[in-house]
Amino acid sequence: MTDDMLRAPAEVKYAEELDYLESIDDGPKPFSWRLSPRMVRLFVLGSERADGLDREIPQKWFGDRSFVERSIVTLASDRGLLLIGDPGTGKSWLAELLAAAICRNSTLVVQGTAGTTEDHIKYSWNVSMVIAKGQSRESMIPSPIMTAMEAGMIGRFEELTRSTSDVQDALISILSEKYVSIPELDEDNTVFAKPGFSIIATANSRDRGVNDLSSALKRRFNFVRIPVVTNKRSEAEIVRFRTAELLRRHAIELEVPPSLLDVLLQSFADLRAAAASATSDDERLESALSTAEQIGVLEDAILHSQFFGDRTLSSQTLGSSLVGSLARRSPEDLAILNKFWHGVVEPRSRDDDGDGPWRGFLDGGRQAISTLS
Amino acid sequence: MTVFEPLREQLTDAARAFGGDAVAGILTGIVDDVDRALAEEPEIFPVCHHSPASALAMARRLREKRPSVVYLELCEDLAPLLAELRNCRLPVALQAFASRVEGFPAAWAPLSVVAPITEASAEYQAIAYALDTPGVEIVPVDRSTDHVFQWAPRDGDAAAPASEPASGSGSGEGGEPKEALHGDAVGIEIGGLRPGFAELEEHLLRHGKVRHWSEWWDQYVEQPLAGADYATYRQVMVLIGSLFRRLRPPDAERRDRDEDRERYMWTRMREHLAATGADPADCLYVCGAFHAASRVEQFGLAADAEPFEITPRTATSWRYGLIPSSHSAIEAQFGLAPGSVSIAAATWEKAVKRSGVKPFRLSGQAGKAPRGRKTPQVKGGAVQDGPPADRLTGFLSGPPALDGLDEAELLGWCVDIVRLARRNGYLAGTADAIAVFETSVLLAGMRGRACPTPYDFQDAAVTCIEKDRVPGRRDVARLCEILLGGDRIGAVGYDALPPLARDVHDRLQPLGLDLQKRTVQRALLDLHAEPDLLPCSELLWILRRLLPDGAVRPIMGSRELGDRPIQESWDLAIGRHQRALVELGYEGVSVEQVLEQRLRRAAWGPDATVVTALEAVEDAVLYLGGGRFAGELGARAVELLAAERTVDEAPEVVRRIRRLLAHYRAAEPALPRWCQAFVVEGYAHYCTLLPTAFADEAGGVRQVAAMLGFLFGMESLALSLGCDHAQLELAVRQSHPEAPAKVALLWAAKAQLGLMTRDELRARCDELLANPLVVPSFPLYMSGFVQALDPAPALAPLVVEAMSKAFGRLPDAVLLPWLPNLVATLREHARELVPTLVREAARTFPASLPALDAWTPPWESRAAPAASAAPAASGPVADLLAAHPMACDAVAALLGHPVEWDEPAGGDGGGEARGLLERHPAAAEAVAELLARAGAASR
Repeated sequence: MTDDMLRAPAEVKYAEELDYLESIDDGPKPFSWRLSPRMVRLFVLGSERADGLDREIPQKWFGDRSFVERSIVTLASDRGLLLIGDPGTGKSWLAELLAAAICRNSTLVVQGTAGTTEDHIKYSWNVSMVIAKGQSRESMIPSPIMTAMEAGMIGRFEELTRSTSDVQDALISILSEKYVSIPELDEDNTVFAKPGFSIIATANSRDRGVNDLSSALKRRFNFVRIPVVTNKRSEAEIVRFRTAELLRRHAIELEVPPSLLDVLLQSFADLRAAAASATSDDERLESALSTAEQIGVLEDAILHSQFFGDRTLSSQTLGSSLVGSLARRSPEDLAILNKFWHGVVEPRSRDDDGDGPWRGFLDGGRQAISTLS
Repeated sequence: MTVFEPLREQLTDAARAFGGDAVAGILTGIVDDVDRALAEEPEIFPVCHHSPASALAMARRLREKRPSVVYLELCEDLAPLLAELRNCRLPVALQAFASRVEGFPAAWAPLSVVAPITEASAEYQAIAYALDTPGVEIVPVDRSTDHVFQWAPRDGDAAAPASEPASGSGSGEGGEPKEALHGDAVGIEIGGLRPGFAELEEHLLRHGKVRHWSEWWDQYVEQPLAGADYATYRQVMVLIGSLFRRLRPPDAERRDRDEDRERYMWTRMREHLAATGADPADCLYVCGAFHAASRVEQFGLAADAEPFEITPRTATSWRYGLIPSSHSAIEAQFGLAPGSVSIAAATWEKAVKRSGVKPFRLSGQAGKAPRGRKTPQVKGGAVQDGPPADRLTGFLSGPPALDGLDEAELLGWCVDIVRLARRNGYLAGTADAIAVFETSVLLAGMRGRACPTPYDFQDAAVTCIEKDRVPGRRDVARLCEILLGGDRIGAVGYDALPPLARDVHDRLQPLGLDLQKRTVQRALLDLHAEPDLLPCSELLWILRRLLPDGAVRPIMGSRELGDRPIQESWDLAIGRHQRALVELGYEGVSVEQVLEQRLRRAAWGPDATVVTALEAVEDAVLYLGGGRFAGELGARAVELLAAERTVDEAPEVVRRIRRLLAHYRAAEPALPRWCQAFVVEGYAHYCTLLPTAFADEAGGVRQVAAMLGFLFGMESLALSLGCDHAQLELAVRQSHPEAPAKVALLWAAKAQLGLMTRDELRARCDELLANPLVVPSFPLYMSGFVQALDPAPALAPLVVEAMSKAFGRLPDAVLLPWLPNLVATLREHARELVPTLVREAARTFPASLPALDAWTPPWESRAAPAASAAPAASGPVADLLAAHPMACDAVAALLGHPVEWDEPAGGDGGGEARGLLERHPAAAEAVAELLARAGAASR
């Protein structure tokens, strides 16, 4: 089944693992959860030898253990979970994994945009059916959130702060009363949430101030802030994990040399340090320099080498991909990258004895900068 | 065969199955260590720092055993301080301090070692027991503070040991404490216990499913041991000590010198036992669990190894005292998780209440004492006589028995944290309290704990209350720390303070403030109404000079030469800066003495200059009343001036000596001898250096101007003291500067000395302006003239004139780039230059706008008559005099002046102009015709 999909949802992709965990799970399960909280944690964070399982469960989300624990516990409580953090920190991925582990359905998603309306959260009508048969439960189209309520599952709301305040406020009653009334109907006009229903929302901390959450809504969510990963080792782990997945998806046989991975991680660490010490937004790259951004750079480089190169990943390609991905604003970002190339990459390549990866990285990046500017 | 034989076999089997010989060696070695340590006499009591379980076990054991001698792993030279703990509110730190070092790299100075003591610690129990029980002796046996530095690595002498692990396993990482209560001292702790390398710690944390080391320790050692009996406690502690000892990187021993410390301690114990004849069975040796598992040859009294050779201390003289400490300072110094020491303190209080053990406490100590229940329920505290039983097997095979929170306590916390959060701006309500409670329980369940721990509670509170931003100063995690006991800050009591600090408190008594408080207090001194407060004011000014910023801060009032204070107001935070005051106490017995020493050190230091010496004189006059000491410092300034070979500091020197001279002239009947010597020396010195300074390209104009300022300004005094004016004249004649600014300065000097007239000077300026090749550099000359205002104020009219001409005649391309320079120069030296310039300009230029139209610059009105040699007088006065010349003739005759009357100008006035017009009338007639035509046209 996964072969037919470009990207299978977590519950499909890890169906076998989830089945296995469900079969051995003897812990208490809240509501209608398919796994106990400890097993959910194990599914997300992977197993240790000490857990005594017959098979190894790989780690799927990399980050502080306590974030995952706090998220799971929130879902078991009365409140919704709001994952907040910079773009590319793995909020949506964590939300998907949690939903998949808890109710085996991570697809009940509402995407928050400026155009999201209350109908997307509650319900809408099949107009032709209404004309034909009048308003009834049959002619009603439930939203993913309402579907989650009816089934006692986890509904997801992506980018909550992108949607307008009135749309956000529709969530308040859902989260506190746990039912939705349908005033258009005379009977059977209330949809009650079954036990196990909860909402995982994600919000981008860079969007703060666009559509601020009301305090009433804030009160109904527990906030878990996901920071940008700065630990080099876990970052390398994440990049490796996600890249392997991408390679598998594209069916590409290509080796990512560890030295190139080091170059990528190091240059991102340097760029972050530069961004942290910058005094104005003009001196900062527009990109958040998150781990997802690194994966993007690497993916770009891999695809480029696969289809236009000699099927080996070279440091030149990596350098030009990095510039290509990070240079978004024409004069500012290019100037920052140019400065970075002169001030940081050049000395590093000088220290590189022989033909280390920095030399090629320097050339590739330079070429890309001169092409773009 | 010992009691541990079955355990040993079990471990060997396990090692064989999983690891191999190396693992087997480690595991059986650990059991051997436990076996060995338990059998030793004197009884070894393994402890861990900031561990309530250790403190509890210690209190129990001391009550049972009642030892007569307690050996303590603490620097032996800190012993006299222990009695002073009675006067303090814990936590405080024992401090050894040396400001001047001998035998260590000079860059290390000042050396400072602190050993913080908290109430929830085993060492405090031992100290309190020993000091309050008659006939009991407490003997610190660890290496002295001097040895801490002797043994510190000296790879790079420049690096002070504060940033290096200089004190064995108990060393701090030297990070700057949050509140910097310990300053940059090297921290030592009793019973430091932590994995020897990062990977081991990471492994333990990952498998223990905890966030940081303090939580691991709390969950896996602290809580299971809280209610354990003494045998279990001892065996487990030695086991952990031995484990960490055996799992260490190979070079750790060389770096930490732990084994040397153990040799040292055993040698000291043996010496003490031999000297006093105490019975080892009556003694207790309190040391870190790490050292209990020692394998040095001197370990144990039965060992026949040679005593460890203890090197003599260096000649560095150490001072000792107590400084306040705090939980957060301890956490920061020893790399513990924030809040862990506070949580340990809360756990201790709870454990005392629950176990019913009566803890020891120094009599007379301030603060609240935790009390046990009235009906003590001593758990498992039976005295262990005879061979120890194996308690390890049970401990190692069972899950940790956690001492969780009871429901009522958790509920109380949930309510309190919401209240606290509300007060700090969070929109939290009862619903949040319920959510925190529920989340704590769920988190504990997920983490495999029966009841939530404080760490679970903290996580739950952050999850439920913390939203996207922190509304106030503190976030929820910090509020939890406050709730769980908060950061407790100790205070050193009056009696335990050094004499200097006590003296300060005594002398500030009249202010009527409680200076031990940690708040900022406002002191208002109306010195006019209450002259008794004058000594307080003087002391405060000295303290301001000596203590760091913020300790005493004047809000109103100043202290300068010649000022008489009337009213002052001060912000005093002496209680908060107690450490600084205590450290000041290491330097002397009174603040005056400390200040005197510091001034002396500054003036006689290797990098002392004239300015530092003069500054010291000024400080001595301001704070110590001048007198003989100021004279000594002044004499030193003269010495330094004579030895000086550069003039870089001349401006500052001139400014300071002028100020001092003004002060002495106003306050003393005669100038002090050193001032006279300084002026004489300075006159000769600057005369000698003047030609070089003029010629030196690197030297600044400002310096030369300052030298000239000294020479001209103090010439009369210098000449009266026997200096020779010819010296100055010669020096000026010998000067041949090339830089335009200095050339201008030299001209000014010559004009001042009369070697050049003002007209000559003016003519030179005009020449410069008239010469197009020189015009671009004219601003440089102007800069020199501006600087000349200070040494030669009489030239001010000329400077104003030159400047006005420059403004009027210089092309914009030259003038505009120079203007910012001029403004910057004037701003920088506003005090000296601007008043003269402004006064002169005000005299020269008209004061009102209408007057400007009719105004001609004085230099131009002077220049016009110069052109026509004999000005013709005219007007009614001249006519009157011409008509009646007798009076003038008489006066002239009286004065002996020949009488000469010019031809009256009235009839054919106009002289040359009239002649010219008569010769060439055409132009004038044409103008007249033109005017007549214009008049006709306008009509």
